[in-house]
Amino acid sequence: MKPIPKFQYHSPESLSEALSLLVELENASPVIGGSDLMIAMRNGVIAPSHVVDLNEINELNYIKEEDGVIKIGATATHTQVANNPLVAKVHSLVDSLSRIGSPQIRNRGTITGNICNASPAADAAPPLLVHGTEVEIQGLNGKRVIPISDLFTGPKMNCLETGELLTEIRIPVPPAGAASSYKRIGRRKAFTLSVVSSAAYIQMDGETCTDAKVAFGSVAITPIRVPEAESLLKGSKLDEETVKAASTAVYEAVKPITDVRGTAEYRNDMCPVLMRRAIAQCLERLR
Amino acid sequence: MEYDKILTDILGRKDFLVVGKNVIRTDALDKALGRAKYTADIVPKGTTILKVYRSKVAHANIKSIDTSEALKVSGVEAIYTGADVTGNNQIGYALPDQPFLNDKKVHYVGDPIALICAKDEYAAAEAMEKINVDYEELPAHLDIDAALVEGAEDIHDGGNIALVTKIRKGDIEGVFESADAVVEDTYWSPYQDHTYIETEAAYAIPGESKVTVIANGQSPFLCREKVAHVLGWDLNQVQIIQALTGGAFGGKDDQGPLLCAYAAFASLKLGRPVVHIWNREESLAYSNKRFPARIHYKSACTKDGKVTGIEVNITLECGAYANRSPFWLWRQTAHAGGPYDIDNCFIDGQAVYTNKVYGGSYRGFGDLALHFALEQQMDKLADAIDMDPVEFRLKNVLVEGGRTTCDQVLDHSVGIKECLEAVRDASDWTNHREPVWDGPRVRGYGVGLAYHGISTSRSSPDWSAASLLMNQDGSCNYRTGIVEIGQGSPFGHIKIVSEIIGVPPEKIRIDLPDTDSTMNAKPTHGSRGLMLGGTAAAKAALMLRESMVNCAAELFEVDADRIDLRDNKAFDRKNKENVIDIKELAEEMYLRDYNPGAHGYFKAPKRFFDPVTGLGVNYSVYTFAATVAEVEVDTETGETSVIKIWPAMDCGKAIDPQIIEGQIEGAISQGMGLALMENMEINDKGEVINPNFTDYVVPSSLDTPEIDPCIIIEKPYKHSAFGAKGVGEPAIISIVPTITNAIYHATGQRFSTVPIRPWQMHKALKEARK
Repeated sequence: MKPIPKFQYHSPESLSEALSLLVELENASPVIGGSDLMIAMRNGVIAPSHVVDLNEINELNYIKEEDGVIKIGATATHTQVANNPLVAKVHSLVDSLSRIGSPQIRNRGTITGNICNASPAADAAPPLLVHGTEVEIQGLNGKRVIPISDLFTGPKMNCLETGELLTEIRIPVPPAGAASSYKRIGRRKAFTLSVVSSAAYIQMDGETCTDAKVAFGSVAITPIRVPEAESLLKGSKLDEETVKAASTAVYEAVKPITDVRGTAEYRNDMCPVLMRRAIAQCLERLR
Repeated sequence: MEYDKILTDILGRKDFLVVGKNVIRTDALDKALGRAKYTADIVPKGTTILKVYRSKVAHANIKSIDTSEALKVSGVEAIYTGADVTGNNQIGYALPDQPFLNDKKVHYVGDPIALICAKDEYAAAEAMEKINVDYEELPAHLDIDAALVEGAEDIHDGGNIALVTKIRKGDIEGVFESADAVVEDTYWSPYQDHTYIETEAAYAIPGESKVTVIANGQSPFLCREKVAHVLGWDLNQVQIIQALTGGAFGGKDDQGPLLCAYAAFASLKLGRPVVHIWNREESLAYSNKRFPARIHYKSACTKDGKVTGIEVNITLECGAYANRSPFWLWRQTAHAGGPYDIDNCFIDGQAVYTNKVYGGSYRGFGDLALHFALEQQMDKLADAIDMDPVEFRLKNVLVEGGRTTCDQVLDHSVGIKECLEAVRDASDWTNHREPVWDGPRVRGYGVGLAYHGISTSRSSPDWSAASLLMNQDGSCNYRTGIVEIGQGSPFGHIKIVSEIIGVPPEKIRIDLPDTDSTMNAKPTHGSRGLMLGGTAAAKAALMLRESMVNCAAELFEVDADRIDLRDNKAFDRKNKENVIDIKELAEEMYLRDYNPGAHGYFKAPKRFFDPVTGLGVNYSVYTFAATVAEVEVDTETGETSVIKIWPAMDCGKAIDPQIIEGQIEGAISQGMGLALMENMEINDKGEVINPNFTDYVVPSSLDTPEIDPCIIIEKPYKHSAFGAKGVGEPAIISIVPTITNAIYHATGQRFSTVPIRPWQMHKALKEARK
């Protein structure tokens, strides 16, 4: 632990001002909640010369629904998102954000920060992955919209270029008959990184599963979906045999490692367990 | 005098005024509101900071230390090494194995080498990188077996075994051969960090042939002794002021003196004040931990449930220094039989050095690891003869007249049987003898007992002292060297004082301990703060009471034995007209030659043991505890939740039940941490790789189980004020085995190592299913 490196603080009030600062200033980092940035600075992982605070940019703080899409602005905190009635239908995201960190972290930290930090264990990632989320990225040269899976490029690595900001998270409004769930295992019941996690999204038409997506955290270099399992679930009746086959597919697909937070064997074994529990909770939510 | 009878024999009352009642602590509001001031709160801005430069390798000879480049860093004021120490460069607690600043050898990653004084953390951090130490690396022993290999490089002169212990009670010959059941296992209890909210801190101000240090710790007098020793000074040249302390749990008993010595030494060399505060990483990686221990047990019993003998081998891992290990290991050795009457006990212990962070004091002081092993052994024996674990224990527990592992006869104050019966009944134990399944989750019940000799180990002489001043307005100043570390002992003292002199607790101010004006009370450890310190307080209060009573008797012109003190008044029991406010009485005392000040000094009864057999009177009295736990294991994920705990304790007279409850709740959380999650991760270079709260995981409020109100069994001890015994350590000792025994009941899995984290539980269940 070192003293936090000295830096210059900037607090722009518009997005365009912030984007300009990030380009003009040498070695600048954006900050919103700071719950990841401050730790990285203390640990000497990064030492930005400038920190650009996005909290004063009103145009980035919103949660709204437009054209069948739930849009979450970059500075919306975990608490704001988890408690917003528009987000209530995105069950797995509420599951995740209402238990992320501690109340203090949830009041400061943001879902944007959580995914941009790109930890394989990011709790917001599996729910967003199964909900077909897109993210809007803006730079001085314009904006682009990409699927969230493209955001993650490696452990703690994202696809943002220098000077770019993730400005909006776009989640399609779940259709009738759809439900999702997020399950995680930590080393204690709260305020701890996930050792392994899983989200499931299930859409049912009567007895038949018309859409299925499953995603996992802390089992690969990025949060991942497992299409092999999804294709088995989709079109099935989610009977025991199918879920078992999907479990095997998941077990084969994930490649976790051993670290101080858990063993590879454990993480591997837990993926099917958590997926099954998440699917079961989806069905319960649809009842 | 029998101090448990003060109420009836001296005060002449049947009922207590404040003792035994829940009284809101006078310091509670300031602490809850964040107004209480700790060491860091009082240091002026701009004070020179002190950082310790530490060894980066686990075991090496130092060839040279070069600080020249570091001294050129802007903002660096001075750097001191062992060569600058003119007093004594040795600060070992029990054995002279621990240099103040290492200049010849380093023994673990983190060994202090140099002190950097700088204007701020930036300058100090830069200097850290520019100090150059040339090492001749030696093989590092990172576990006890590596250190014990024949021909292994010595960590300290004299070999890698710091000391051995032994108890020979009865005769073990034939015990196992003739037994109906014999169970045997090896248990491992790992490091645990104290994780106090406030990290270690000391602020030193130099004077003329004098130094003042304001610091957190557990004994200002030990801090004074160590500072004087390093400086080569007399005790009265060192003044230690004990600041409020944000948790200690034993860790600050060991670290307090070291931090005081570093800060005092540097401030005197530099000629200006110096502040030395650790960050969390330093605290987690370099402060002493709970000593790890490997304990091998072989236990025997008859088929009708009588334990006939135990053979125990304890290997304590010291880490780099012996520190408190002679006391820790002796406590484990002396308690090896548990709270049971066992005729034949053969116990051997050895404390072994390794090149890792050193162990030291921690709540439970050896008895936690010991009971983790012995209480699982008791369950296994019960299992082997197909007897209920509670019933089996009841057949063996110590009762009045029983004999401990050391053959000490306990003639009074023995309440373990009542504790066990109380938790059995409270938890409805007999109706919970089958595990209960709910889908993949299974619940089970476990029981664990504990006993803990109060005060210091190895029969070292024990005494305490306190002083009490009555001011002209009837308010009082109370001074004790027993320190406030969250536990509330000094508040317990003033309740004792209040009971005796009739002045309400809010009129008795607890002064911060200051070695210039406070009598040496000995340390706040060994659960002795209330029992020893409180009895010294009672003696001071009884002396002051005599002045008060005699003065009132003179004023009322009646005999002194008619005077009672209560509700801030003195009055004549036989004539209600004769009454005076303490405020006025105090003024009269000053005018009429009645001493308004009193020093209380209390010497505990003598203890002794035979060095050859280990037998004797090892501890003057024991606190007893029993707990039942209900746990739930998710057999698919391996997650374990503690659902509920039922605690009971014989702590003699409960001076304040609410404070006892606080101790027990904290202890349950801390014990649960060791049982289920906490782990110091040390790599193959001897470095702690999780020195942060991201990866050193302690229980959160959501992990905390429901805790039934503690059942207090009051078996008074006759040599302490009102019969009180210590609570802080006994509260944690039974928690770990209670949880592991409940896990066994639920799952059939026995764990001889903690913590039991989800992946370890999962693996065990997976293997069992194969």
